[in-house]
Amino acid sequence: MKVRAFTAITACKFTRWFLRVIGRGATQMPGRVATKIYPDILGYLAKDVRTVVVTGTNGKTTTARMISKTLSDCGVSFLANKSGANLLNGITAEFIANCTPTGKPKKEAALIESDEAAFKKVGKYVDPELVLVTNVFRDQLDRYGEVTHTLNNIKIGIENSPHATVCLNADCSLTASLAEEVDNKIIFYGVNEPIYKKRVKEESDAPYCIHCKYEYEYEYITYGHLGKYHCPHCGYSRPDPEVAASKVIVSDAEHSEIEIDAAGEKFKALINLPGGYNIYNGVSAVTVAYALGLDLKKAVSALSSFECGFGRMEKFMIGKAETRMILIKNPAGCNQVLNFLSNVNEKSIFAVCLNDNYADGRDISWIWDVDFEVLAEMADKLEYICVSGIRAYEIGMRFKYAGIDPDKIKVFKDYDKLLDAISEQDMPVYIMPTYTAMMDLRALVSKRFGYKNFWE
Amino acid sequence: MSEYSLNVCHLYPDVLNLYGDTGNIICLQDRMKWRGIGCEVDGLSVGDKLNAGDYDIFFIGGGQDFEQEVLLKDADENKKDDIFSAIDDEKVFLAICGGYQILGKYYKTWDGKQYDFLGALDLYTEGSETRMIGNYMYECDPLDGEVIVGFENHSGKTFLGDGCTPIGKVLRGSGNNGEDGMEGCHYKNVFGCYTHGPCLPKNPKFCDLLIETALKRKYGDAISLEDFPAVDDTFEKNAHDYMVKRLSKANADDPSR
Ligand SMILES: [Zn+2]
Repeated sequence: MKVRAFTAITACKFTRWFLRVIGRGATQMPGRVATKIYPDILGYLAKDVRTVVVTGTNGKTTTARMISKTLSDCGVSFLANKSGANLLNGITAEFIANCTPTGKPKKEAALIESDEAAFKKVGKYVDPELVLVTNVFRDQLDRYGEVTHTLNNIKIGIENSPHATVCLNADCSLTASLAEEVDNKIIFYGVNEPIYKKRVKEESDAPYCIHCKYEYEYEYITYGHLGKYHCPHCGYSRPDPEVAASKVIVSDAEHSEIEIDAAGEKFKALINLPGGYNIYNGVSAVTVAYALGLDLKKAVSALSSFECGFGRMEKFMIGKAETRMILIKNPAGCNQVLNFLSNVNEKSIFAVCLNDNYADGRDISWIWDVDFEVLAEMADKLEYICVSGIRAYEIGMRFKYAGIDPDKIKVFKDYDKLLDAISEQDMPVYIMPTYTAMMDLRALVSKRFGYKNFWE
Repeated sequence: MSEYSLNVCHLYPDVLNLYGDTGNIICLQDRMKWRGIGCEVDGLSVGDKLNAGDYDIFFIGGGQDFEQEVLLKDADENKKDDIFSAIDDEKVFLAICGGYQILGKYYKTWDGKQYDFLGALDLYTEGSETRMIGNYMYECDPLDGEVIVGFENHSGKTFLGDGCTPIGKVLRGSGNNGEDGMEGCHYKNVFGCYTHGPCLPKNPKFCDLLIETALKRKYGDAISLEDFPAVDDTFEKNAHDYMVKRLSKANADDPSR
């Protein structure tokens, strides 16, 4: 066994080094090489590492970044799969990069961001101390089937993590229902009041009671199907959160200010990213710190000082244009981006890059469930919209049917031409790519505009 | 007010709304608006009584299995009779995936349980363990062989009886059941199919066929969409032709097509 582990680790480290040398970021390859040689390599490496798993449909990456900052501010040494390669191979590669050639861990903790399908398997290899579930929305339907299927994957993942404390979003009726399914210690978190005065139109992903199928009633909705729900028929309702955003003081185009109540202890928090969904990310990150017994003051201050990931509203310059890149991957997430954009007051340029590779979700029908119509309502602030990616025509057509003047929709067949056009702008640019489009764009942006090694 | 107008009934918009099918409603509305044809859309959900006489076009989308149970009881109580009379009366229907199956006689799960459906169309569906999934395309006989592109995602295999005909022959993908090479069902003015994507925006001729059929039924055979202002279909044509080209190049059994 030892020899196989050694071989797998060496092969993985070599592959990773080689890919860096030839100028490619972390991919699935190093981990795949390792698991080929030793299928249980992850279990072997993770057994002495305190592991935190972040799973759920939306907000994983940003939340993991917030937790990272908390861990480092609290002096915990840890590894994290922050490159966004969040499938099993990526996680394996990260563990290997942080161990000695004989497989001894160099770090005391691991922060794993895992999609729902991979989490099902991750739990088999590692024994997490804590699992955070952000929310459950419709996502990449062709890959995971339906929301109840996604929920079931998370349930299996938790069942495979019998020792973990589980932090659940009380405001998501799907996520919260997991509490009744598992024996783990549960900590609920939530947002205790509405966030937006005006929200985009969106369909609920969970209008009917998960237990008895009657329609939920809401005292308030924060976004999507999240809020204070109860079922008038069987009585299933939002549990009281132990950690919550007790007040939403400000939520504007640059940041949010909230009051966090952690079991009665109150903190003022500044979240340095805009968008109501980042309030949830902030509260869930503090909940993790609370569950791990870390310094909550440091956890709260991490929310205003963490570095957001590429594609998570990170700001950078493309030529003259101040650009924010915002990953889009499902209607709920994309609608939250639009909630944010409709608060932008300056004249801006938007670009959407739509791919339909496996990692993006092959079915792009979801673009019709996004309320792009709000972009037509803010036509005076919209200089023009660029569309690109494999399915550029389709997203262009979506904008046409959303009521945007077809003359304002520009199709770019390749990203170089798109970046050329953007670099000449002296107004803010918002690029919204799907996952593989983001990976291609970031390679190109680092090459052309000198942003080195985004994947670091 | 417009001289011509059509009323659209969107059945169960909050329950059967899974795969961006709302895009079909947006498409119907816009393509009528661009031509100066009035269009009102009503969404009727659980608890609402259907009065078929109020509408010219009916749309039913796809949903999760979990949610279909909610509405079968309601359909029986509040909508079934009017759906039957509307079909008889040659009103236009577009039914996608779950909505298509529900208009049939029954659904039999792969482990043998049978759920009775509305029985408005002579077809039935059997569950299978494999999922028929991916971009696909087929010929549309009512459009003289014009190719329709979309995304199918279903585990149910639908088989037609003698009372209805398929929409057309599958060129890439599975279609109704992955066995007989045909897709969809056409009966009177009812069109049922598995085409998500959604179906109408990138198949604008299909959308126009539905609109024109409903107009003829309401205002007489002499009317034609050519009498209305032309619509610029550049984006639609590009989106459509891209998929036809990509699917034509792909092997028939390539899952990533
Ligand atoms: Zn209930």
